[in-house]
Amino acid sequence: MDLIFFKSAVVLYLISTLSFFIFLLSSSSLTCPTGLWTARLGFGCHSLSIIHRTFFSGFFPLATPFDALSMFAWLITCLFLLIQHRDSSPIFGAMATPMAAVLMIAGATLSYQLEGPIVPILHSWWLPIHVSFALAGNSVFAIMAICGLMYLYQERLIKRKRLGRIHKLLPSLETLDFINRRGLPIGFFLMTVGILSGALWAGSAWGFYWSWDPKETWSLITWFAYAVMIHQRLVLGWRGKRAAIMAIIGFALVMFTFIGVSLMFGGHHSFRNPTLRITGA
Amino acid sequence: MSSGLAVIGLNHKTAPVNVRERVTFPANNEGNLTRSILSLPGVLEAIIVSTCNRSEVIAQCDPVDKVVETILDTIAVIHGVDRQILGRHCYTWIGDDAVRHVFRVACSLDSMILGEPQILGQVKDSFRRDSAANTIGPTLSRLMHRAFFTAKRVRNETGIGVAAVSVAYAAVELAKKILGDLKDKSVLLIGAGEMAELTARHLIGQVMSPICVANRTFENACTLADEFGGEALRFERLSGALAKADIVISSTGACDAVIKATDVKNVMKTRKYRPMFLIDIAVPRDIEAQVNDIDGVYLYNIDDLQAVVSENLGERMNEALKAEEIVDDEVKKFMDWTKTLDLSPTIVALREKLETIRNGEISRMNGKLSKLDDGQREILEIITRSIINKIAHDPISFLKKTKSTSRREVNADIVQRVFNLHGFSNPRDELEENLENEADNRN
Repeated sequence: MDLIFFKSAVVLYLISTLSFFIFLLSSSSLTCPTGLWTARLGFGCHSLSIIHRTFFSGFFPLATPFDALSMFAWLITCLFLLIQHRDSSPIFGAMATPMAAVLMIAGATLSYQLEGPIVPILHSWWLPIHVSFALAGNSVFAIMAICGLMYLYQERLIKRKRLGRIHKLLPSLETLDFINRRGLPIGFFLMTVGILSGALWAGSAWGFYWSWDPKETWSLITWFAYAVMIHQRLVLGWRGKRAAIMAIIGFALVMFTFIGVSLMFGGHHSFRNPTLRITGA
Repeated sequence: MSSGLAVIGLNHKTAPVNVRERVTFPANNEGNLTRSILSLPGVLEAIIVSTCNRSEVIAQCDPVDKVVETILDTIAVIHGVDRQILGRHCYTWIGDDAVRHVFRVACSLDSMILGEPQILGQVKDSFRRDSAANTIGPTLSRLMHRAFFTAKRVRNETGIGVAAVSVAYAAVELAKKILGDLKDKSVLLIGAGEMAELTARHLIGQVMSPICVANRTFENACTLADEFGGEALRFERLSGALAKADIVISSTGACDAVIKATDVKNVMKTRKYRPMFLIDIAVPRDIEAQVNDIDGVYLYNIDDLQAVVSENLGERMNEALKAEEIVDDEVKKFMDWTKTLDLSPTIVALREKLETIRNGEISRMNGKLSKLDDGQREILEIITRSIINKIAHDPISFLKKTKSTSRREVNADIVQRVFNLHGFSNPRDELEENLENEADNRN
């Protein structure tokens, strides 16, 4: 019962995904608005779920992988709805809502223990700063990767001169490149703040700022990857296809750092560490 | 024979251009011709729609068959066309076929270019003109409003008008998909040619900066540039212009390539890899095909664009099928509405019969009722009226209950037979009787 909002949000996101896909495959005129409205409704339920979790844990609901992934999915949906508001392409929805649903389901399966008091170290103001900046950065990178995929597909259709239904539904190459262009510095800034605040938190909690924990190492690698991306874009003038590929590779690194590293290497960001159950960042 | 809707006319499918250009209902700006059609015996309402591909009279007539012939005769006389020739090229639609035809015309399903948007505006103009000329009554007014509504539904629910069906327009659409908003983009036109100029004209409306025109003969470039309000360019400075242009339309008579892949590759660096859309309209080709392999450069030649157009046309055909379903749906609704009008004679006859019985019974008992005072007489009236209203209520709701038109006719027949309504006239006869009475009175 306590997860009623969470569950209904997941179900609504899945319905939305299904509607968008049916819309893409057939041209049924009702499915597109259905997809959009279920996504909005799902977002509403999701927001209620986060509020509920706040009251439940008595602090920012970011301390478990369940909550962190839920917040991540919430941010992605939020960005999707914002972009949808300006440039309505149903394909965006067909990629954003399944992503949100998968992240939420992953969070629900990863985190068995939803109850219990928060470890004292997590009851700090650094938690919302560190985690929310890192997650916001990640969701900007997620949107960029979605745009990158759409760009590559649209570019391929135009180059091969196969202009069908999907071509018309996809945004223009310029729009997709524009979102990536704008997203890159924003995402990079958020990520930088996320990493720096993590270091400061570690400094205040444990006395050392950087401990070469696997998560920290991989975050740094990801950070460098995006730094290179900014360099290529600004200095070498990379754009379009190359920038799209970079956005996809970058996001793969982000996801590996966020989930893969925690599962594979352990460390103090691990999802499974019983004494210091800290979310990935 | 009864009254009904009829459409008499000809269009690009039924009549060759030499007939079409003679039957155009000229000088009908104030609906004078429509009024002369209306003045024909048996024409109750009329509207004339005339565009470059069609001329037709839509009329509510009584009786339909005979009046249609009269209208055809009149059209022949108005235009001085031989009646036989006209008869051969005209179509006549009656009843629900007429309704369907009007709806299909408004939805641009009957147009030469399927789904073109102008026709709806032309039909609306005709409607406005003839409304002002007072030739439109309730039936045609309803018909035309339903036609506009159907056209709106078709626009909203199908993609019939979405895809570009001309090469020039397809090129512009494609440019938008590659470059986004075209406002701040620049266009370079190389050479001249009808198709190239047409495409450039389509672009002028979208682009803010003046179009660059390059030609081997500088004077020709100047002439064309003047026409477009653009800038002329010497052919030697082409590579410099390539670095600035986002959209290039090429259409020279040159035998070998004017733009080579290496040229474009070099130019891309100075462009900072800003994407470029090249349209090659010339035959033989002006632009090397390998140009399309360069990252960020998109080359479409005339065949590619033609393929896009024919694909779009196919798409319109598919959408047209959906549109036809909508039209069928709306035709059915309209015919149902006309059927509810058909019910009213039965209802009127039923009420009349009951009223006759009531009046008959009261006058039969008049002697015995003479003792009643005015108040009591009034109560008697009220009681008897409410009795016949209550009796009439069930059969009337029985008549109105069903939506199926065939069922409705059966029901009307049942009510007529149960209450023996034959001899109780329908309103039209009544109207005629009144007219006759008036005529008698005058005598």
